[in-house]
Amino acid sequence: MKNIVRIAGLSILLLNALNTYAQEKYTVSGYVKDIANGEGLIGVSVYVREASTGVVTNPYGFYSITLPEGDYSLVFTYIGYQKLTERVTLNADQRRNVEMASESKQLEEVVISTKKEDENVRSLEMSVNKVDIKTIRQIPALLGEVDVIRSIQLLPGVTTVGEGASGFNVRGGDVSQNLILLDEAPVYNSSHLFGFFSVFNPDAVKDVKLIKGGIPAQYGGRISSILDVRMKEGNTKKREINGGIGTIFSRLTYEQPFAAGRGSFIVAARRSYIDVLAKPFLKGDLKQTRFNFYDLTAKVNYRINDKNTVYASGYFGRDVFGADVFGFGWGNGTATARWNHIFSNKLFLNLTTYYSNYDYSINSDPNNQTPNDRFEWNSKIISTSVKPDFTYYLTPNNQISFGGQYISYDSRPGDAVAVSSGESRNISLDSRFGDESALYIGNEQKISDRFSLQYGLRYSLYRNLGPGQVYQYQELQPGERKFPVLPGTAVAKGEVIKQYGNWEPRFSMNIGLSSTASIKASYNRTAQYLHLLSNTAATSPLDVWTLSTNIIKPEIADQVALGWFQNFRDNTYEASVEVYYKDLKNQIDYVRNSDLLLNRYVEGDLLFGKGRAFGAEFFLRKNKGRLTGWLSYTLARTERLIDGVNNDDWFPARFDKPHNFTAVGIYNLKERLTLSSTFTFASGTPATFPTNRFEYNGWALPHNVYNARNNNRIPSYNRLDLAATLKSRKKLFGLGQGEWVFSVYNAYNRRNPYSVYVQQNEDNPLTTEAIRFSVIGSVIPAVTYNFKF
Amino acid sequence: MKKSTLHILLGLLTAAYSLTSCEDAINIKTETGPTELVVDGWITNKPGPQTVRLTLSAAYFDNSPARPALGAEVTVIDDKGTVYAFTDANGKGIYTWAPKSDTVALGRVGGKYALQIRYDGEEYAATNEIKRVPKIDSLAYEEESFPINPPEGPKDGYLAQFYARDFVGLNDTYWIRPLKGGKPYGTDPGNISLVYDASFSPGSPSDGLVFIQPLRQSINVNQLFSAGDTVGVELHSITLESYYFLFQVRQETTNGGIFAVPPANIPTNISNKNANGKKALGFFGASAVSRAETVIDPKKARPKE
Repeated sequence: MKNIVRIAGLSILLLNALNTYAQEKYTVSGYVKDIANGEGLIGVSVYVREASTGVVTNPYGFYSITLPEGDYSLVFTYIGYQKLTERVTLNADQRRNVEMASESKQLEEVVISTKKEDENVRSLEMSVNKVDIKTIRQIPALLGEVDVIRSIQLLPGVTTVGEGASGFNVRGGDVSQNLILLDEAPVYNSSHLFGFFSVFNPDAVKDVKLIKGGIPAQYGGRISSILDVRMKEGNTKKREINGGIGTIFSRLTYEQPFAAGRGSFIVAARRSYIDVLAKPFLKGDLKQTRFNFYDLTAKVNYRINDKNTVYASGYFGRDVFGADVFGFGWGNGTATARWNHIFSNKLFLNLTTYYSNYDYSINSDPNNQTPNDRFEWNSKIISTSVKPDFTYYLTPNNQISFGGQYISYDSRPGDAVAVSSGESRNISLDSRFGDESALYIGNEQKISDRFSLQYGLRYSLYRNLGPGQVYQYQELQPGERKFPVLPGTAVAKGEVIKQYGNWEPRFSMNIGLSSTASIKASYNRTAQYLHLLSNTAATSPLDVWTLSTNIIKPEIADQVALGWFQNFRDNTYEASVEVYYKDLKNQIDYVRNSDLLLNRYVEGDLLFGKGRAFGAEFFLRKNKGRLTGWLSYTLARTERLIDGVNNDDWFPARFDKPHNFTAVGIYNLKERLTLSSTFTFASGTPATFPTNRFEYNGWALPHNVYNARNNNRIPSYNRLDLAATLKSRKKLFGLGQGEWVFSVYNAYNRRNPYSVYVQQNEDNPLTTEAIRFSVIGSVIPAVTYNFKF
Repeated sequence: MKKSTLHILLGLLTAAYSLTSCEDAINIKTETGPTELVVDGWITNKPGPQTVRLTLSAAYFDNSPARPALGAEVTVIDDKGTVYAFTDANGKGIYTWAPKSDTVALGRVGGKYALQIRYDGEEYAATNEIKRVPKIDSLAYEEESFPINPPEGPKDGYLAQFYARDFVGLNDTYWIRPLKGGKPYGTDPGNISLVYDASFSPGSPSDGLVFIQPLRQSINVNQLFSAGDTVGVELHSITLESYYFLFQVRQETTNGGIFAVPPANIPTNISNKNANGKKALGFFGASAVSRAETVIDPKKARPKE
């Protein structure tokens, strides 16, 4: 706690000092919005010609610039939008809200990234990828379902264990080390149907940003990356209906303004309908089969006055599987409320509170037909948080951000009851509690036209709280199960079981080489107090998010990155090369017969160690013209060193892929027709194969005499996808617009291995063989129809 | 409840992938390690001969029969000092101890046993014990129909289950071995059915209960029984070490697909007396056995629930 007080004092001091010296100037500030639908525009460049300086709009579309008294031209630029120049006579602080119009329709559709043209070179951000939702929509999608997470996997530094695996891996981090934010609320499980589809409804998404390095101080809680997904606010100009009928989902989105455009809302829903289509064909017991997934996204915003805007948004998604004697469901729910307040022209506050929940439930007999023999099991994690974030636009050359966050965790890893022959046992695990507090302060400082810095410090404090039973564990042999020292210690409610504090420095800098080239460098330390216990190749919906305890220490990552950024041909092309090195501490692995579910002594089944990841990422992107897209190549290594595994030597992580190449092309052939294609090549993932076999009880069993982990690699992966989007010539019912999307996934029908494993032949357990397992083993064509009113 | 529930769940999840996924056998090259002695021995309290089979390990994809380990000296000594000599009369690596009368058993509940092997200049040893086993209270069956024609067994048949109750007291572990027509069936390693107290695994207290339903029904291995079939079960009491050995055998032989865990070696309880000597593989197990059998009689079947 002392540290928090110290950092708070420091921030106040700093602010006061800066305040006094910034007086005889005036500030112009305001919101930048899209004229068509009133959506706030994120990252618009606001350039002051006379002062040769500028800023960019924040995630709410807000900007603020402080200048000496005088006449100025503010130039607003944003790719895909018409340049806008506003004259201001600055003799007092003033508000200037502007609305920008998109360029001709045709160009709008080929925009690859909505941002300032040369931001790539000029900004302090490095290791950041933004993909516009319009681009995501045009990338060929599996079964025609536009997917944010799958698109992310085409970016440099991002890999996946394989098709159908949930989530994504960033620069050597595992799936659970990404902070996935939906309107600032963390999403614990980003997938429907395991990993086939992500939970984000593309019709409701406005902006997607992936931060792989140089993570600013306001973000914390996960060590590898931040995926910041912002939802649309809803059209403030007119009613809008979007929808689509796809192979998997049907979608419908409704947007409407109210209070004369001061407010608007959006409601978006999706549901899979395989079960609906299958129902007539099912007989008998199978008639009861349930198999569907759906999500509902909603958001409302209201501008109370010039200084106050409030937003509320929510997400609810669920996957449901079941038959008459078995039920299984899981899903996320999030709710976010935000208040944007402009204290003065220079001080902007966003106050966020959120609630986020992930849960699953299993019931052996949902209809309760055989109460004598039954099993029921629920697991849940709930986090609630309050998070004030201030931005202080001190001078055009200093933009200070500061704030904090408090998160309370309530984890119920397993509430379960088992009934056998009429006797019932409660086999629930204790709930676990904890909280996480953080304070941060950072400054973005332009030292000269060619040199800028961003530096910040975050202090996070985690407490594992009672009530609960706390155990120490006895290690008999490294790499093997540890046994609890019983009976353990009972800790009372609210008492601190264990506390961890971490200073997390963040730093990045930009050295301009010319107006079109720069070198950037960054360092960041991040800490993570919440861990997903998962020993399977792909994470499963049953995996439990577990709080740090006296045994499970926070995961810590340090990353340094260095990059060269260059734009060519009037910013038509942007190129970058980045190298990074990441050091990971307190990484989690598992004993060989680990039992991670409904195990009160689960900590005894965990192994700990460290990780390292390094690589080089090459990226070339074409932003303008009829053909847009990118090429990305990543050369990388990800390794782990775990006590008692692989003879205590480094081994490649399960998702280590040394070579990773992707090509994305979007070609605007005609006004109505867009073609697109993606190609992916990646090294095979590591695998562990036995060296020998031995016979026991008529079985041929595998054995690796060297006791190695990931000593082999499966064949490489490559895939081509194609898509065509054709806009209907005729207006839909005389009003709306329709489009057909045709897509082909895995166009040349390659059987890409997800894994290769060995087994005994099913018919003869004394014959051994190697099996190639492909999640997608054929061409998958799909047609989707989208409409808009 | 977990391991098997988990298997069912993950199986279900995996089934969802089956629309697009496929599996095929391919050739891969793997490194081969040095050959080691393999011990395949399991003694029980059943009267009659007991065997310990000794072979040598081979390259993983070498599908020729395992080479026997010949010329070994194999003995079992119990906690009363009795020495049982196992001999390889036929020179096939199958070392057998046979009692003078077929009603005499080697094993006894509560007995502790040490296996000693001299082979190729090395001395190996392993120990195990025979734990208490509950009696099987009854075998019952009910009519059951699959919605579609199953690959094995009848579409309309009988689902059997046996009733037994775990002893009061934590950490009793058992191995359920299904019988059909008086013989073990469904012996694939993937079908190994293990019991921890009355449930699947430690960590969740199920002590003293009647074995939970999925365990009671685990004697139906992927198929239903027909009228007139003899259905049965052997319940083996096993030590915790044996439980984890069999657990790992099952895991390593069914470890494919999207939810595979990192492969790991199957543990062994065979150790070389010389810590720097050659290692051995395999396991020396011991168990007491309860057995029950019944003939499926449609008249006695419980009505379908």
